[in-house]
Amino acid sequence: MSDDLNIKPTDWQSPEMVRHTQMRNRREKRFKLFGLSAVILAASFLFLLLGKITLDAAPGFLQTSIEVDINFDKAVIGDPRQMGRDAFIENVRRTNMLRLVQASMDIYFSEVTDRRDRRRLLRLFSAGARDQLRNMLLADPMIAGTSKRVSLLASDDIDQVIKGHTDISLPELQRKVKNKELSWLQKFEDDDRVSLHFHSLFFTSGDSRDPELSGIWGAAVGSALTLFITLIIAFPVGVLSAIYLEEFAPKNRFTDFIEININNLAAVPSIVFGLLGLAVFLGTMGLPRSAPLVGGMTLALMTLPTIIIASRASIKAVPPSIRDAAMGLGASPMQVVFHHVLPLAFPGILTGTIIGMAQALGETAPLLMIGMVAFIVDIPASFTDAATALPVQIYLWADSPERAFVEKTSAAILVLLTFLIVMNALAIWLRQKFEQDW
Amino acid sequence: MQQSMTEFKNMTEQAVPKMSARDIHVRYGDNHAVKGISLDLHLNEITSLIGPSGCGKSTFLRCLNRMNDSVAGCKVTGQILLDNKNIYDQNIDVVQLRARVGMVFQKPNPFPKSIYDNVAYGPRIHGLAHNRTDLDEIVETSLERAGLWQEVKDRMDSPGTALSGGQQQRLCIARAIAVNPEVILMDEPCSALDPIATAKVETLMDELKSEYAIVIVTHSMQQAARISQKTAFFHLGELVEQGDTTQIFTAPRNEKTRDYITGRFG
Repeated sequence: MSDDLNIKPTDWQSPEMVRHTQMRNRREKRFKLFGLSAVILAASFLFLLLGKITLDAAPGFLQTSIEVDINFDKAVIGDPRQMGRDAFIENVRRTNMLRLVQASMDIYFSEVTDRRDRRRLLRLFSAGARDQLRNMLLADPMIAGTSKRVSLLASDDIDQVIKGHTDISLPELQRKVKNKELSWLQKFEDDDRVSLHFHSLFFTSGDSRDPELSGIWGAAVGSALTLFITLIIAFPVGVLSAIYLEEFAPKNRFTDFIEININNLAAVPSIVFGLLGLAVFLGTMGLPRSAPLVGGMTLALMTLPTIIIASRASIKAVPPSIRDAAMGLGASPMQVVFHHVLPLAFPGILTGTIIGMAQALGETAPLLMIGMVAFIVDIPASFTDAATALPVQIYLWADSPERAFVEKTSAAILVLLTFLIVMNALAIWLRQKFEQDW
Repeated sequence: MQQSMTEFKNMTEQAVPKMSARDIHVRYGDNHAVKGISLDLHLNEITSLIGPSGCGKSTFLRCLNRMNDSVAGCKVTGQILLDNKNIYDQNIDVVQLRARVGMVFQKPNPFPKSIYDNVAYGPRIHGLAHNRTDLDEIVETSLERAGLWQEVKDRMDSPGTALSGGQQQRLCIARAIAVNPEVILMDEPCSALDPIATAKVETLMDELKSEYAIVIVTHSMQQAARISQKTAFFHLGELVEQGDTTQIFTAPRNEKTRDYITGRFG
C-alpha cells in the first residue's frame, strides 16, 4: 500500500492553477498585440512612403503652357508655294523658330525694348518651344503666312512658379526668377493664357537636360530590352539547372558544393556582378558599353541564383508519391520530370522567376558598372544601342540640380513602382491559374 | 521412395515460378535491411508478405521492380529472375521492367489529371495504343476490370483526385493494369481505406489473380488469410517462414511465426 501510486486528480480550481491559466492567457494576448503593432508599423511606413512619393510625383505629370499668338511669317520661314515642299522643309529645319516667338513677344510686350530684356522674355519658354513650332510647320506647311494662337511649353523655372514650388517672398537676389519675369508672367495670367495640363511628353520622350522636355520612355524601353535579355538567359538556364540538380544529379560532395555556392551567390552584393560584367563582357569579350545586351547578361547572372533556388524548392515540393506512381508505370526519368513534376512545380517556378525579374528591374548598381548610367537622349532601338534603365534614370534625375527634376524623380519612381506591382500581380495571377490540387 | 515420388509430383504440379528472388540483400548505407531472401512468385497466385513494421517486406517488394534504384544509398545484391532473366542485369531496361511488373502504393496516388488521363497515361508512354479508339478501349476495359467503370463512366474528365479514397485506389489499380503487366506488386493497398472499400479491393484482387502474379504487403493478418494462397513471414530482414497460407496460419513451423500470427508480438 504505497502512497505514491495513489494519483490525485489535478485541481484545476486551485489558486496556483488559476494563476497559471491567467498568465498563459496574458502571454497570448501580449504576443498578439506585439504582432499587430509590428504589422501596423510596417504598413504605416509603407503608406507614408507611397503617399509621399505620390504627392511629390503628382505635379511631375503636369506641365505649364503659355498661349502665344504666333504669326508664321513667310519672311522668316519661307513660302511653301513658291519654294516647293522639300526646300521649304529644309528652310524650316534651318530657321531659328524662336524668331517667331520673339516677334510675337515684341507685339505683346511692346513696352519691352531693351535687348537683354527681350532675350529674357524668350527664356520664359522652354527650349522645346522651338521644336513645337517646327513640328507644326512640318506637319502642315500651309499654315505659313497665317496667325495662330499656340500653347507653348513654359520653361522649368516658370513651371515651378506656377506650381507654387518657388518661394516668391524671398529677396529677388536669392531667386532664379526675378521680379521682371514675375510681372510678365502676371500679365499672361491676367489674360488667362497660362494653363497647367497633363504632360504626355513625359511618357513619350527620352532624357533631356531640360526637365520639362525629359521623359521616361527611353529608360522604360531600355529596361524592357534589358529585362528581355535577362529573361531569355536566366529562365532556361535557371530552370534546367534546378531540374538537373534536383532530379538527376548524383548526391555527392561535388553537388553539395555546387548547391552551397548557388546559395552564396544569391547573397553576393549586386555591384560585384556589375564588376564581373565589366571585366568579362566589356573587357574580355569586347561587347558594346551601355548596351541592354550587356546589362541583361549581367542582371541574368544576378537573377540566376534566385530562379534556381525558387525552382528547386518548388520541384522539391512535388509529392514523391506522384513520382513513384509515374515511375511504377514505367515512365522514364525524363518523362517523370516533364509529364508530372514540371507541371506541378510550374506555378512556383514562374513566381520565383517573376520575383527575380522584378529584382532585376529595380537593380541599379550593376548597371552603373557597365556604363548604363550615361546621359542618353535617344530611345534605344536595339539591344546594342546605348541605353539606360528606369532605376538608373531615377538616380540620374535625383542627382540633377534643377528643382523641377525633384518631381520628375518622384514621377519616375511611381512609374517603376507601377511596373513592379504589375509584375507581382502577374506572378500571383499566374500562380493561381496554374495551381492544381493533388 | 514413396516420399520422393510425391515430391516429384509436387514439383511438376508446381509451374515454373514467374519471378523468383535468390539470396537478396539490401543495404541502406550501414543498415542491412533485407538479409538473404529467396522467394518464388507464381502466376495465378496471391503471395502475402507479412511481418512487423520495419522487417524489410516493403523494401523487398520494391526490389521486385527496382523502385529502390532511385533511393539514395540503397544497394541491392542477389538475383531476381523474371521469366528466368535476372532483372538486375546490366542490359535490362528498367522502364520496360516496370511496365511488366506494375505497382500499387499504400496511399492512393492518382495523378492530378482527369480519370481518363490517369488510366491512359501508361499505354500512351509505352505506345500500346495505335489510335484514339484503341486507347478508349484500353481505358474502358481497365476501369471495368478494376470495377470502377460503372461509377466513373459519366465523368471521365473530372480529376482523379476528386474520387473517394477507395475509388482512387481502384483507379490506381486500373492505371497499373492498363499497361498490361505480368506481375502486380501491392504495398499495403488497403491501409488507407475503410472496410467497405477494402472489401471491394480484395474482391478485385481475387478476380485479377486469374491473369497475374500478385504480391501484397499487408499488416492485416485477416487480409492475408482471406485473399492469399502463399504467405511469407518476414522478421528483422529475414524470411522466417514461407508456405501455403493455410499451413502458415493453422500450423506454423516456426515459433516466431506462431507468436506473430497469434498476436503475441509485433
